[in-house]
Amino acid sequence: MTPIGFVALIIGVPALILLGYVLITGSTGLRRYILTRIVLTLPMVIILGSLVFLVMRVVPGDPVQSALGPKGTPEMVQRIREQLGLNDPMIVQYGKFLVQMFTLRFGNSLIGGHRPIIDEMSERFPATLELITPASILALVLGIFGGAMAASHRKGAVDYVWRIYAVVIYSLPIFWLGLMLQLLFGVKLSWLPISGRIDPIIGTTLVHRTNIYTIDAIISGNWAALYSVLEHLILPTFTLGLILSGIFVRLTRINVIETLAMDYISAARARGIRERVLVYGHALKNALIPVITLIGLQVAILLAGAVLTETVFSWPGMGSYLVERISARDYTAVQSVIVVFALLVAMISLAVDVIYSLVDPRVRY
Amino acid sequence: MDNIGEHPPEITPPTETWEVELQKVSIVRRILNSRKWYGADWWFVAVSSVLVVIFIIIAIFPSLFAPYDPSALVGPSFLAPGAYPPVPELIVSNTSSANSLKDLAVTSDQPRPTISVVQGGNSAGALNDAAKEIDNQIKNESGGLRLRPVIDRYATVEEALQAVVDGKDTAAVVGSDEFVRLKAQYPTLREGESIAGGAKTAGGFLLGTNDIGQDVWSRLLWGTRVALIIGFSSSLLSLIIGVPLGLMAAFIGGSFDRLMSLLMDSMYAFPGLILAIAITAVLGPSVINVIVAIAVLYIPTYYRMVRGQTLAVKEDVYVEAARSIGARSREILQRYIFPNVIPSVAIIFSVNVADAILTGAGLAFLGLGLPPTIPDWGIDLARGQRFIQNAWWLITFPGLTILLVVLAFTLMGEGLMEIFNPKLRER
Amino acid sequence: MKHNRWFQFFALLVMASMILTACATTATPTAAPTTAATEPPVVTEAPTQAQAPTAVPTEVPPTAVPAKNTIIIGTTDTIASLDPGDAYATRDWELIKNISAGLLRWKPGTVDLEPSLATDMGTISADGLTYTFTLKDGIKFGDGTPLDATMYAAQLNRLLTIGPSCPNDVADALAIPYVESITAPDAKTIVFKLKTTVSYFVQILATAPYTASDPKTFPADQCVLFPTAPIYGVGPWFVSQYTQKESIVLEPNPYYTGDLKPQADQIIIKDYADPQTMALAVQNGEIDVAWRFFSPEQLAPLKEVQGLTVGTVDGGSIRYLVVNHTFAPADDPNVYKALAAVIDRNEIADTVYGGNVTPLYSMVPPGFLGATEIFDTVYASPDIEAAKAFLAASGYTASNPLKIEMWYPPEHYGASTAAWMEVIKKQFEATGAVQVTLQAQEWSTYITNLTGGASYAVGVLGWFFDYPDSSNYLDPFVYNKGMGTNVSPSQEGTSYGVPINDKAKQLVDLLNQADTETDQAKRADIYKQAQEVYADLVVTLPLFMIAEHITYRSNISGSSAYASPETLNIGPNIEFYYSLISKTP
Repeated sequence: MTPIGFVALIIGVPALILLGYVLITGSTGLRRYILTRIVLTLPMVIILGSLVFLVMRVVPGDPVQSALGPKGTPEMVQRIREQLGLNDPMIVQYGKFLVQMFTLRFGNSLIGGHRPIIDEMSERFPATLELITPASILALVLGIFGGAMAASHRKGAVDYVWRIYAVVIYSLPIFWLGLMLQLLFGVKLSWLPISGRIDPIIGTTLVHRTNIYTIDAIISGNWAALYSVLEHLILPTFTLGLILSGIFVRLTRINVIETLAMDYISAARARGIRERVLVYGHALKNALIPVITLIGLQVAILLAGAVLTETVFSWPGMGSYLVERISARDYTAVQSVIVVFALLVAMISLAVDVIYSLVDPRVRY
Repeated sequence: MDNIGEHPPEITPPTETWEVELQKVSIVRRILNSRKWYGADWWFVAVSSVLVVIFIIIAIFPSLFAPYDPSALVGPSFLAPGAYPPVPELIVSNTSSANSLKDLAVTSDQPRPTISVVQGGNSAGALNDAAKEIDNQIKNESGGLRLRPVIDRYATVEEALQAVVDGKDTAAVVGSDEFVRLKAQYPTLREGESIAGGAKTAGGFLLGTNDIGQDVWSRLLWGTRVALIIGFSSSLLSLIIGVPLGLMAAFIGGSFDRLMSLLMDSMYAFPGLILAIAITAVLGPSVINVIVAIAVLYIPTYYRMVRGQTLAVKEDVYVEAARSIGARSREILQRYIFPNVIPSVAIIFSVNVADAILTGAGLAFLGLGLPPTIPDWGIDLARGQRFIQNAWWLITFPGLTILLVVLAFTLMGEGLMEIFNPKLRER
Repeated sequence: MKHNRWFQFFALLVMASMILTACATTATPTAAPTTAATEPPVVTEAPTQAQAPTAVPTEVPPTAVPAKNTIIIGTTDTIASLDPGDAYATRDWELIKNISAGLLRWKPGTVDLEPSLATDMGTISADGLTYTFTLKDGIKFGDGTPLDATMYAAQLNRLLTIGPSCPNDVADALAIPYVESITAPDAKTIVFKLKTTVSYFVQILATAPYTASDPKTFPADQCVLFPTAPIYGVGPWFVSQYTQKESIVLEPNPYYTGDLKPQADQIIIKDYADPQTMALAVQNGEIDVAWRFFSPEQLAPLKEVQGLTVGTVDGGSIRYLVVNHTFAPADDPNVYKALAAVIDRNEIADTVYGGNVTPLYSMVPPGFLGATEIFDTVYASPDIEAAKAFLAASGYTASNPLKIEMWYPPEHYGASTAAWMEVIKKQFEATGAVQVTLQAQEWSTYITNLTGGASYAVGVLGWFFDYPDSSNYLDPFVYNKGMGTNVSPSQEGTSYGVPINDKAKQLVDLLNQADTETDQAKRADIYKQAQEVYADLVVTLPLFMIAEHITYRSNISGSSAYASPETLNIGPNIEFYYSLISKTP
């Protein structure tokens, strides 16, 4: 994925959704609300970014010395620090950082090849995207279906099965689930690969356009690559998706139960409408509304889960990137990643709120 | 958490008899009686509370339950649960007169005996331990004999035995079962005495040993202490900070409320683990730092819930009525707000402990957070991951333990929530 | 209505500015456009035969199989730089040595030097300060550009000019201290003028920074860490494409005239984030060869797999304890001698590494010039009685134990570090008069503190040679350049610092002598003496030596024309020549 594609995905897509909605409808209140939210997002991101900037500078440990190891003499280290601008006064560094944040030109990494961070993120971010998308879909489908089923059989065996599932899944450490799946399917049964995104030989034949391998494979008609990518996706997706589904089962169940307790449901029941239709038709639809807003919040959990999943499966995404770079004290990379995460979370929750207001006619601004 | 805070408690006049009667009865009776009314949820809470108590006892007195010190090297590496390691024995050539290790001792002007061993397995360690012990005994005796063998390591048993045949080594130490298997191929070699005793030949560990020979079961038990300390301390810390903040925000309102809520919402929305990673990276590995990092994560949860509930109650008619007849803020707090807030806080607390233990394990797994000298489930899992191919028990049991503990707390919270949430109560 | 319009306009403005800044970011030229590898025209070459350019009879040997013969190598080692004027890490050097060549090289599989691009081993002037070499004829880069001495010398001068400003700064370690100037009096001669006599300069000439590089790829005024593919050198291979942290593809250099002819049509080097996965990959056949790094826990099961060979290369990677001679309590000789007396290296090797490392009794590994087993001779460890005696001499007993902290980085040297530090702690505390506190500290912080020299009594470090010579295993720890031993703390105006006592001075003098002594036998003697003083001072405490392991499948073999085919011709200098491996289908 090229840098512009990367930026477009992070900011452009939610922005365009909002723009479109704002232009289409005529609600003044909503527009004011959205713009206020956008305007509020900015200080939040700045504060978060500045905090990270400060924190990373305060932390002991020098990225240059760290990379050079014992072979780095103090003179060498100082010289390279000068070059990288690490010895400039804090104000100057902070100023540069603010400029970088606003223009989304994140500067260069402090370690290794000193590549532009935006290049590195353009490679890592699609990997994370490729992981969390099917995982969320799995979680949602499983979660909503399970929650509804549990709610409709309240206090019955099915209900308890789903509740126990939700609780047990939620209590599983996600990295342990990943390890167990690796052990079972990768080591003992050897059915599935246990790490990486694609087989190495096939990988050289894949044309990287968006860096989302599934899409790239489909675009270029490279079916062997598609097969390999999907194979590699299965275990990480299940790890992340299953864990998240527990949360959705619980949420949906509670909301459906509450909705089912409402008067209009009783009225409909009295009118003779079948239970099945009631649950999946009426109640679920209405119960989903608060669930949708909570999906926005789950992005945070999703990203956190992604960090652990990527570590277990050696998935080269943003999560593992962050952990690597924190250890290496790569200030610029860590700052940039956190800013990007914050932006992402802010944009998605804003977009979700907008969709919520579209869906729920009761919402008035 | 779901919308537990957003609905005011329903105040129904106590016309239904069982409610009135229940109020008159002591708490213990109430608990037991409510089993009838809450069904399976009661069992959830009951079973999980028992489990929690058990874990707490283990955490406070791990030495009562753990047979070994968690960092002591009590056995050979990678011993499967319940298994016994092979017994190594001394193998010498037929022409040698040595029978035991002690026979190989020499004076300082003679060349040191060279003994071949196989890489991996416990023979080298057993040899080293036995030689040290013998050396300590004999060096004080007259005669000036010392036993300081030079250890030659080979990749396979065959190579080690061949080295003795070829004269490169004075003797070999290999597992007795291995020699029995290969005896026929080496007719010029014979068995000497077995080299047992010491940690390297110990066995019968309940859950096996890890990569350097520490007892997995003992480490699991000792790990409970760290996990629960982290879980409870961080949740308590979040509570102490979050609840008053929420109350204040709800009471004071205005820009303080708006600012706080903005800050809390941003923290809440941001991926918690990542924040924790950043904080522990800054502060460095130690238990206190992990507690602080995780506590920061959960403050918004308490804040939002308490603030929401307080606001809801504050606006309610009966509170207005109370205020109009002159009730002071403190009374309002005590009489109306606390009773509604406390059950929810209890639920959140229990779920938070569960989450804190998970996050703590996650941090340790990533190598951040806890210094590796403390026995901890997350660290054991990270270590076990390296050996996933040959020692499945190193990841299975710590993970199961985390699951059990977290499950206990979550179930408790889940059950309590079902019981306390009036919306879910069947009419 | 007006209100609505304004809001619409404002919203549009905000969105538009965001999109504009997004576009703006793409206009910035990135310093190292590695995404070149993803452009379709480059990629479509990969599945086809290695293309022979129009003219030239290449001497690529005819492969027995007409179809593409690809060998895939897996590694967990990372690349920091591909610029010979900058790169300082083992993997970087390995790649550079495969795609290019220098005047001298080590005979594959050995530590013996032989000429490579030079016609002979060169002429050394009487005063030892001038080295003259003659360049062979007919050497060309992979795109056909011929190499002459003028170009070669100009490229080597990058080490002296821009080298110190490049991030990995190999120039400051291997060029600046020794070389005064590099000139080419004519198109076939290269002359090095040194600042002082250096007995191991020929070893240095065989390292990667002294290979020939293409001025088009690596301009004289710039460090280019990650050039765009294809990257050409004068060696048997060239880089046809690469994706960072994923894979590098090498193809035969059509203009190569040397003796290390490629036996495969393509080499793909695949990056693995963790060795566990790489172990599985080599078992499943996803890769043909696995090279660096497997820890003992991965090796043990691999050795038992049919169809896989695990070759052991006794490498130059060592681990040792660093003793800070100016930081209490490690400044007390009784304390560090007690530590030296109590260490049981065999226990560490067997318990933690399953016997897969070799106990090391001197900083100079066996096989190097003048190596002895001095620490064993002097201390005969483990000797608890002796340790107790040393401690008691300083007043440390069971009732008044020595309290000492030992610091280590828990991840940098492998996850087993925590384990063997625990074993060392147990060993030291077995004297009954010591209380050890182990402190783990993350690498970046740890190394900054250690090299700053202020913080720790005892620490842990690892070392890998820059060039295979004894001086490289002794000098760096004595002439303090931030190793944390402080035996001879640096000072302005001195080359080797200020030795802290007489013994240290004696050691510094001995090492100085050895650096300039040209008679190898005399050097060996000097190093023997130096090791004695070293052990007496316990400048550092050598623990063990880690072998490298090369794992390969049954259809891969090394070349029998060179040494060590069982380890794919990799010798103690850890040089892997991809040309020497072949694959039978």
